[in-house]
Amino acid sequence: MTALLLQRARRDRVQLAVWIVCTGLLAYVTASAVGSTYSGEQEREGIMRLAVANPAILLLRGLPQGTALPAFVFFQIFTYLALLAALMSTFLAVRHSRAEEESGRAELISATPAGRIRPTVATMVHGVAANIVLGAAVALGFIAGAMPVAGSLVAGVAAAAVGIAFLGVGLLAAQFAHTSRGANSISVGLVLLAFVLRGVGDALGTPSADGLRLTSAWPSWLSPIGWGQHTSAFTADDLTPLLLCAGLALVCGAAVFALQSRRDSGASLLPGLAGHAGAPAWLRGPFALAWRLQWPTIVAWCVGGAVFGLVAGSLSGVVVQAAQQNPELEGMLKTLVSGEGTVTQVLISAMFGLVGFVAAACAAQGVIRARQEEAGGTAELLLSTPLGRVRWLACYLLLGLVAIALVLLSAGLASTVAVFASGDDEAHAGESFAAAAAQIPAAICYLGVLALVFVLVPSITAALGWTLLGAGVFLGTFGGLVGLPQWVRDLSPFTHTPAVLARDTDLSGAAWLVAVAVAAASVALLLMRRRELR
Amino acid sequence: MSDLVIEARGLVKRFGRATALDGLDLGVSAGEVHGFLGPNGAGKSTTIRILLGLARASGGSATLFGRDPWNDAVELHRRVAYVPGDVSIWPNLSGGEAIDLIGRLRGAAADPRGYAERKARLVDVFQFDPTKKGRAYSKGNRQKVALVAAFATPADLYILDEPTSGLDPVMEAVFNAEIRRVAGEGSTVLLSSHILSEVEQLCDRVSIIRAGKTVETGTLEALRHLTRIEVSFSAGPTDAQLASIPSARDLETTGGRVNFTVENAELAAVLPVLGQLAVQGLVIAPPSLEELFLRHYGDSAR
Repeated sequence: MTALLLQRARRDRVQLAVWIVCTGLLAYVTASAVGSTYSGEQEREGIMRLAVANPAILLLRGLPQGTALPAFVFFQIFTYLALLAALMSTFLAVRHSRAEEESGRAELISATPAGRIRPTVATMVHGVAANIVLGAAVALGFIAGAMPVAGSLVAGVAAAAVGIAFLGVGLLAAQFAHTSRGANSISVGLVLLAFVLRGVGDALGTPSADGLRLTSAWPSWLSPIGWGQHTSAFTADDLTPLLLCAGLALVCGAAVFALQSRRDSGASLLPGLAGHAGAPAWLRGPFALAWRLQWPTIVAWCVGGAVFGLVAGSLSGVVVQAAQQNPELEGMLKTLVSGEGTVTQVLISAMFGLVGFVAAACAAQGVIRARQEEAGGTAELLLSTPLGRVRWLACYLLLGLVAIALVLLSAGLASTVAVFASGDDEAHAGESFAAAAAQIPAAICYLGVLALVFVLVPSITAALGWTLLGAGVFLGTFGGLVGLPQWVRDLSPFTHTPAVLARDTDLSGAAWLVAVAVAAASVALLLMRRRELR
Repeated sequence: MSDLVIEARGLVKRFGRATALDGLDLGVSAGEVHGFLGPNGAGKSTTIRILLGLARASGGSATLFGRDPWNDAVELHRRVAYVPGDVSIWPNLSGGEAIDLIGRLRGAAADPRGYAERKARLVDVFQFDPTKKGRAYSKGNRQKVALVAAFATPADLYILDEPTSGLDPVMEAVFNAEIRRVAGEGSTVLLSSHILSEVEQLCDRVSIIRAGKTVETGTLEALRHLTRIEVSFSAGPTDAQLASIPSARDLETTGGRVNFTVENAELAAVLPVLGQLAVQGLVIAPPSLEELFLRHYGDSAR
């Protein structure tokens, strides 16, 4: 048992450490950033009234519990902390259960006196321990961000409880799915469903008389993330809803043992899907293959883009009304984006910055996929046919461009629809698409630079890709907030994304981004001709 | 202009400080089935990767059909079919989809009907289920994907890197039949292996490599000349009688049998003596490739 636990801890030590530290940092950064940005009671009140009036904000944030600073922080960030805990737990559960069975390693362990049940117990203990550490990190983050100690502890316990509930969900999903990919899809789907259910519950909630508080509707009570939210840390500090989390974890755990003691090792409750005996006629070249391998991911990124677009568009109508009543709010919103314009334009610009992150992430993932093909050996099979290395890489870059375009198009479309649905008569049809197009330079900059990394130092493509993206997003979003000097913030491509909706748009930054992207991609393709497969 | 399909001279490949190939020579003539033998880590796969233009030689020269595999890779690959030693396929593509994709990249579209027929036949003889997803296949089945894809489109040169390492004996027989078929159609085959019996059955000539160098090359017949023939019979004759056998070396009696070895050329002189001694249970065995192998790897194998 100890050996199994140590093996799990050792295998996950980097991954979990990074995940937990990032979650704790998120709590800390939000607490301190909100503390300095919205220090005035009046500003927070303006935002809260806006939130209570707008389902889209509620869906993406949480349950308003008044305008006190700690409550405001909890409203802003808790659902995301819970989301991170939930995802950490389901990935951990699948990694040590179905993935092990799929690879055949579980057989090796089950053949020892450890048997079939003990590894599962070890995974549960390991997962619960990871969540306790994550909860502690969240609590410490809040405390370090000058939040009250008691509420910080409640928030930490709530995040850990949500994570533990989803540990059970992930282990149960692993009993059903035939592959780790399938188990991850099911459990991530359930995590997102939990997030959306509580979002719908909050969006349909009943506002209090002063318009600063909300009682959520019943769908929120179907979601473990909702249960965590109902602890109302920093206001009510009520731990009883977490009993539901514990209950769900226990039920899932019992079901896992019941199912596992009945099935064969490696078998699953849902059968694996059979494929086709032959390839469809269009699957005939490297581009078609790249599309075949990546379309589900691209669709997922597009959905992400569309959600942000929808929020951007739907916000505008509400905000215009709110801003007319509260000029201070208008001024504050405008500080978020450089340049001038109407409130709608400013807001859409700001929201499309998030869409830009999604598009860049999608592009980065395309290049990382090429590296996975090379490292996995499938590229060797392809390149032993009459297919040149340069053409192969060019197809991946081309698909990267297509993916960026698709993400931005879906965001633009969703935003346009939402703008018109919200009845904003100041808006123009082209605004959303212009804001989307402004995100192209930064996204293709990631595509080109990462392609060059892939050609020069292939082994670090994935690690460096996500690091560059994370650093860029951080510098682009929080660089100003945490007071970094301008030259550091200028390192992020997102800092140079033009605010096209403002007057006197400065396009020189965008031109530089495009130049860097084109140069990097060209050099990458040139060097690919002389590069061995590694 | 020689008729060598594959020609490598003094091939050197270094990975950082490690030397994978250290002056390797290899010559394969058109229409021949050439065995490429060596223990794991001898440099077989590295050589093949250089021949396919997937890796670049650090020194020496290599040509395929008289052309440079690094610079003319795409042109050359139109004439080459390749089966890697450790086949990886796409986890979410079915085996049939992967076969079709490789087939189409290799020009199956030029003759769709012929390709479909060959694929159907190969899927049948290899008893392969093409509807499973890539991640569900065992090593042997992944190998079948590459084998079916390789044999389903005609090629002038087949480069096969330990192609049977995951196959069972029945499938090995099917594989051997396919090699004989393509060889019969005039194609050239380079078959890398550390399984000697396989090479012995299929190959006209072999090259044996060790630590990145070619240590022996030639027809099996020629190589056999290099080793001694083993003779054994039931124990019975006296020591004096045994001493009268000419040219016998390493003579010893173990487990009720007398064993010794002779040079191939001296066997004719030995036989009459054995006849006079009226030996029982006589076995005269030609040197197996196994022995050739042990001789070359003797030091490292032990």
